[in-house]
Amino acid sequence: MKKILKNVLDWLSTKASYADIRFVQLEEEKIVAENGILSSYNLSTDRGVGIRVLANGAWGFASTYDLREEILLKTAEKALKIAQASTLCKKDDIQLAPQDKQLDKYITPIYKDPFQVSSAEKIDLLVKSTKAMLKDKVKKSEGVLNFFKTFKIFISTEGSEIEQTIFESGGGINAYAIGERDFQRRSYPSSFDGDYATRGYEFIEEMDLLKNAERIAEEANQLLVAPYAPEGVMDIVLGGSQLALQVHESCGHPAELDRVLGKEISFAGGSFLTLDKLNTFTYGSSQVNIVADATVPGGLGTFGFDDEGVPASRSYLVKQGKFVGYLTSREDAFKLGIPSNGAARAQSWNHIPLVRMTNINLLPGNFGWDELLDGIKKGLYLDCNKSWSIDDKRLNFQFGTEIAREVKNGKVGKWYKNAFYQGITPEFWKSCDGVADQKYWRVWGVNNCGKGQPEQLMHVGHGTSPARFRKIKVGASR
Amino acid sequence: MIELAQGKELIQKIKEKINPGYDFEVVLTEEKFELTRFAESYIHQNVAESTLHLTLKVIIGDRIGSVRVDNLDKAAIFEGLQKAINIAHIVPPLNFTYRLIPHQNYNIQGKYSKDTANLSPKKKARIVKQIILGVGQEGFKAAGAFSSEQNTMMVGNSKGLFALDKNTKVDFNCVITKDGSTAQASFLDYDINHFKVDSIINELLETGLRNTEQIDLEPGIYTVILSPEATSDILNYTGYMAFNGKAIKEGKSFVCNYENEKIFPDIINLADDPFDELALPIPFDVVGYPREKVYLIEKGIVRDGVYDYLTALKYNQKCTGNTLSGEDASWGALPFNLALEGGTVSRDEMISRTERGILISRLHYVNVLNPMSAQLTGMTRDGTFLVEDGKISKAIKNMRFNTSVIDMFKAVDLISREREAKAGWVGSTVAPYIRTNNFTFSSKTSF
Repeated sequence: MKKILKNVLDWLSTKASYADIRFVQLEEEKIVAENGILSSYNLSTDRGVGIRVLANGAWGFASTYDLREEILLKTAEKALKIAQASTLCKKDDIQLAPQDKQLDKYITPIYKDPFQVSSAEKIDLLVKSTKAMLKDKVKKSEGVLNFFKTFKIFISTEGSEIEQTIFESGGGINAYAIGERDFQRRSYPSSFDGDYATRGYEFIEEMDLLKNAERIAEEANQLLVAPYAPEGVMDIVLGGSQLALQVHESCGHPAELDRVLGKEISFAGGSFLTLDKLNTFTYGSSQVNIVADATVPGGLGTFGFDDEGVPASRSYLVKQGKFVGYLTSREDAFKLGIPSNGAARAQSWNHIPLVRMTNINLLPGNFGWDELLDGIKKGLYLDCNKSWSIDDKRLNFQFGTEIAREVKNGKVGKWYKNAFYQGITPEFWKSCDGVADQKYWRVWGVNNCGKGQPEQLMHVGHGTSPARFRKIKVGASR
Repeated sequence: MIELAQGKELIQKIKEKINPGYDFEVVLTEEKFELTRFAESYIHQNVAESTLHLTLKVIIGDRIGSVRVDNLDKAAIFEGLQKAINIAHIVPPLNFTYRLIPHQNYNIQGKYSKDTANLSPKKKARIVKQIILGVGQEGFKAAGAFSSEQNTMMVGNSKGLFALDKNTKVDFNCVITKDGSTAQASFLDYDINHFKVDSIINELLETGLRNTEQIDLEPGIYTVILSPEATSDILNYTGYMAFNGKAIKEGKSFVCNYENEKIFPDIINLADDPFDELALPIPFDVVGYPREKVYLIEKGIVRDGVYDYLTALKYNQKCTGNTLSGEDASWGALPFNLALEGGTVSRDEMISRTERGILISRLHYVNVLNPMSAQLTGMTRDGTFLVEDGKISKAIKNMRFNTSVIDMFKAVDLISREREAKAGWVGSTVAPYIRTNNFTFSSKTSF
C-alpha cells in the first residue's frame, strides 16, 4: 500500500506546493446487550485514502474507498481541481507552521489485544451484567462494549512517513428504574456508552462491570423515589466524570484556535477566548491548571502523531488560572507565529484534519476528598452527566447529572433527582477553590465529540479529579 | 454509483455462495459527497468523499451474525459473509423469531436531480463568492457550508426482497457577522436549480441589519414565534426523545402517559411523512420495509411512535419502516421525515397579531433535560427579537431556555402557511413558523 501511496505523492509533488496522503484502516467491534440478552453484535472494517493538497495557496481534499492506483491518481487529480476551485474565493495564501519531517512508527502499548479476546467471553460479560441489574424497578438495563483498531499511514511531500496502530477499548452499563410517570438512569463507569481509553482489554477487566451492576441498579431504584434536587445558589463538588465534560465544553472547545478564528462560526460556533485574551485573561482561580496532553498513557486522545504528522505533545492552556494557549493545527499556528502543538485530527480517511482536543486535563490539586467536602456547610455533590448544553461562544452552560447528593457540614447524604447546574464559564472557573489530589485523578474517555461540516466525531480524553466550586446556581428539571 | 443490474448480481452472487439453509439480508449504501466550507469570507475547506458500505447479515435459525465491509471485491464480500456466519454460530439466540420481509412494492421514491449530482466544486465556489460579495456590500462577513451529495441505498434478502433507491441533496447554511450582529440562512433541497442566491442574501441581510444593539431581557415565560429553523430543532429533539416506539414500550417516553389523549390544540398535526411535498423522502428502511405516513400527533391527539423491525417483532407491533442501521439498531427507531402541518396565517400576520413576544431565528445546542416531561434546554442565536404591538421592535441578547415541549405545544395558537425543509436527524424535517404562549427562558447572556 505504502508504495502505491508514494507513487501518488510523487505525482502530486510536481503539481502542489504541499500534499499529504493518509491511508486509514479501521476495524471495529461493537456488542450491545439489553436485559440479559444480546441485542446486537457488529463487526466492521472501513478502509480508504484521503489526499490533501495545497496548490496556488488554497486547500483541496478528495478521498476514496477504492484503493486501486489508477483511482488514487484520479482522486489526487480531483483534490487538485478542488484546490483550484478554492482559489476563486481566497484571502491570503495558506501557509503552514514549520514542521520537521518525521520517520517513525507508533503502536498503542496494550497488555491484551481486545480483538484476540473471544467474542463469547465479551458477550457473556454483558449478558451477565445486564441481567444482574434487573432488580426491583429496574426494568431495563443496557451494556455496551466497543473496540477499535486503527492502522494509519501518513506521508507528505515534506518527507514524513509515519505508521501508527492505535487500539481503543471502552464500554459501560446503564440501569433504568422505571416508575409511573418517571424513569431514572444510573450509568457506570460513565454515561453515554461508558468510558473509553487507548488501552487493551485490560481496561474492560479493570472496570469490573459485573461487580458494579447491582450497585448501579440500587442507585437507580433510589433515584426513582428521591426528591427533586433543591433550587438556589450553593456550593458544589463535581465528581471526575462530570468534570471531564465540564472541561471538554468550557475549556477544550473554546481553546480550539480554528473556532477562535471564526472557521466554525456557522455551525458549532465561535469562542470567547479571542486572540487578545492570550496570556492576559483570567480564565479561572489559581487552582485551575489545564493542559492539552496527547502523551498521557491510556488517554483516549493519546497518539504518536496527529493527522498532519506533528508529534504528540503536552502544552498548557490554563496555568494558575491564566489563559496561556490554544489547540492548533499547522495552518492556524502559522497565523500566530508559533509551532503547532499537534491537535489536527481527522475522524477517518474521508475527513480532513481539524483542530480537535487531544486529552484536555485539569491537573490535580492538593486537596483530599474529605477536605473538599469539609469546606461545605450546605451544598451538593454532582457527578455523571445526563444533559449538556452551552452557547455558541462557550460561556453560558448548563449541565444535568445523574448523581446529586446532599452535602451537609462536610458529609455526603441523601440522593436527589434531576439536578442541573448553570454558569458562565470564567465566573464558574474563578469560583473553583479546591481540586482533589493525584490520588483521585484519572483520565476519562469521551467518544462522541462532534465538530465540523461534514460532522466528524472524535475520541478525546479528559484527566480530572473532583473539584469544589462556590455559589453555583442549581436547579431541578421537573 | 451502483445500478440496478449490479445490485441484483450482487444478491445472486451471495445466494450462490451461502448455504441454502441460511437466510441473509444485504444493505449497500454508496455516497458521493462534496462540500465547500467558507469563513471570514473565503473558502477554507473544500472536500470530496466517495464511500461505500456493505452490511451482510446472516440468519441461522434464531441467531444473527452481522458484518460490515467497505468494498465490493469478491474476496472481501465472501470473507465478510464467512465472518457473519461464524458470528451467527457463536451468538446467543434471540428471544423472539426473526422473520425476513418478503418482496414489497414501494409507493414513493427518493428525489434525484442530475444537475445536483453534477454540481462541481467550481460552481459551488462561484455561488459562495456571489453570496460573500452580496453580504459584503453591507459590511458583513460570511461563513458557512455548501454541500451536494448523491446517495444510493440497496436492500435485498434471501426471501426475494430487493429495493434500490437513489437520491440527491443540496445543503447550504450561512452565518453572517458584523460587529455584534449575526444572522443565519439555510437551504435544503434535492435540486440545485431551486437554490436562489438573491433570496438567501436578502434573508441574511434582513435579519443581520436588524440584529444590532441587542437589549437585555429578563428570563421568564414568554410568547414566542419560532422560525422554521428553530421549530425543526424542537421537532428533531422531540422525535428523538418521545417518538421512538421502543422507548414508548419501555415506559421511557411521555407518549406512554398520553397515548390517544387529546392534550394539544387541534392545529397540531405532526407526522413522520415521506409523502410530504417538501420532504426529502426515504422510501424504505434498512430491512426493506416500506415507509408510510405515521401520525405522531393528530388533531392534537397523541398517537404513537415509529417502530423499527426488531422492536415490532419483539412487541408484536406493526413496523413503520424506521429501522436504523446495525450500529444504531439497539436504539430502536427515529422518525425519518418529520413534518408539522402548516396553518392558515402568514409569518407576517403572525407577527402583526403579537402584542408582546419574542421572535427566535435559530436555536443552538439543544439537548434533552427531562424526557418524561419532554423538557429541552438550549440557547438562542443569530437573531432574537422583541415583538411589540405587532412589530419587530428590538434585538435581544441570546438567552437560555429550559422548556417543556408538552407545555409549549399545548399553548400553540398560530401556525404559518409557509413551511421549509430543514435538516432532520435521518432525512429532512418540514417545519413552519409556530407561535406559542408558553416558552420558558431560564437565563441570559452578555451577547
